Amino acid sequence: MNEHPHPARLILGLYWGSVLGSLTLPWLLLTLFEYSAHRRTLSEAITYLRLHFFAPGHQYFLVGLLSAAPFAVCAAFLLVHLGWNPDVSRAQYARRLAGVLGSLTLMLGTSFWTHVSALLYPDGQGTVAYGFLPYILLVLIPLGYGAGRVLFAFAGLFRHGEG
Amino acid sequence: MGQRARRRWPSLVTRRHIALHLAALTAFFVFLVVILWLHTGPRAVPGLIDLLHDPEPTTRILASEWLTSLGRDARSALPALIETALHDPTQDVSAAAATAIRALDLQAARDVVNGSFPMLWDPNAEVRRKACVVLGNLGPAAKPAVPSLITMLDDTEEPVREGAVTALGSIGIPQAEIVAALTQAMQDPAAAVRYRAAAQFAVHIPVTAAAVAALVELRHDPDKSVAALADVALEHAGQNPRHDVSALMALLERPGEKDYALQRLAQLGREAADAAPILISVLKDPLALNRYLAAEALRSIGPAAEEAVPELIAALHDADPVVRESAAEALEAIGTPEAKEALNVLRREKAE
Repeated sequence: MNEHPHPARLILGLYWGSVLGSLTLPWLLLTLFEYSAHRRTLSEAITYLRLHFFAPGHQYFLVGLLSAAPFAVCAAFLLVHLGWNPDVSRAQYARRLAGVLGSLTLMLGTSFWTHVSALLYPDGQGTVAYGFLPYILLVLIPLGYGAGRVLFAFAGLFRHGEG
Repeated sequence: MGQRARRRWPSLVTRRHIALHLAALTAFFVFLVVILWLHTGPRAVPGLIDLLHDPEPTTRILASEWLTSLGRDARSALPALIETALHDPTQDVSAAAATAIRALDLQAARDVVNGSFPMLWDPNAEVRRKACVVLGNLGPAAKPAVPSLITMLDDTEEPVREGAVTALGSIGIPQAEIVAALTQAMQDPAAAVRYRAAAQFAVHIPVTAAAVAALVELRHDPDKSVAALADVALEHAGQNPRHDVSALMALLERPGEKDYALQRLAQLGREAADAAPILISVLKDPLALNRYLAAEALRSIGPAAEEAVPELIAALHDADPVVRESAAEALEAIGTPEAKEALNVLRREKAE
């Protein structure tokens, strides 16, 4: 552990970073949206967010919570997958890390796109999107993991080819 | 590279760390859920009462709308809402508070009506206009304010007359008086007032024969928008009221549309007689506003709603005094010997 402190820091960084990032992502996007599109000051935008955190029809706190729930599942998975077995080889660890990063990237991208779309087109479909988002993100965990590992394998083949 | 690949990592994170971090994540989410729970349902009410005193009008409007959505859970906020409806300096905030009160408690709505009467005679036109807006937002619960609002149609200030017309359209009952007043308002010298009056017939108030002549005349109004609205209202006048009743009875099945459908049925008068059986069942509705509107609709149907007499007699002992009052008026309008006897008993009980 002393020889290689970075993997532990990386795993725990991904673990807490993904949860906190996904939780605050809709709140940050809303604040930026109010600041830029509705031309509020930063302080007004934050006040707007605070007031609408639990307000019926807005429920931004719940939106953050629902968005973060699948990331919490992914975070638990990555912590166990990358940290449980100390006997994994460096190559095996790298493959696992690529898979986990694939999951997180795909989930974060989808979450970002959903929140931005709901802000740009505020109608009933936005609410439906928030309802379905956790399930979609859960499905994206294995899909992103597979995609990450496939991309890593392709990158390895490419490096071998160049070598 | 092969040698490097075979090399083992030292312990990345210990299993004890993993267990601790998983426990911390679970605790974190439990904490978030507790925060959410503390800010929803009746637990949010004390915070919302504080928000009603926020210096920012938009915040006070949000708090009023939020309290409306909480329904009966927000009844402890009624004193603060009444205070806001009557004395908030911003008209939109008072209007939002009145809308909340309308949904929460009929008696509180009547308190706001009584509190608004002096404001209708205030020397400041803004105050008079605000009182009209508040009464309009109380909807049918502000029925006792109708005679006063009708006198406001002679106010010297155009915005006050405009506010009074809008309020009369939103209150909607008793229909005959309101139709007569709005018909008169369609001859107002101000185009904005004529526009508002025509809009009530185009959207809120069923067009009766009495209003048709005035609407036909309004089609030649020099203001094009007024003339166009008169056309729209006259299109509605040609529709079959029996179709209206069927559509409104279907709307009664939708919880969100119930009060609207009941208000419209109360405006149709005797033509809504087919809806009497369903209106009788609404007299047992858990929401006082719906029970009140059902009694009002039966009152407007009159003698044709004879079958509702036993349920209306039972409604004389309703928990809500406004529903009791409306049930008594309905029995008076139906006027069967049984209804009259029940009213006599009630009067004797009150006298004793």
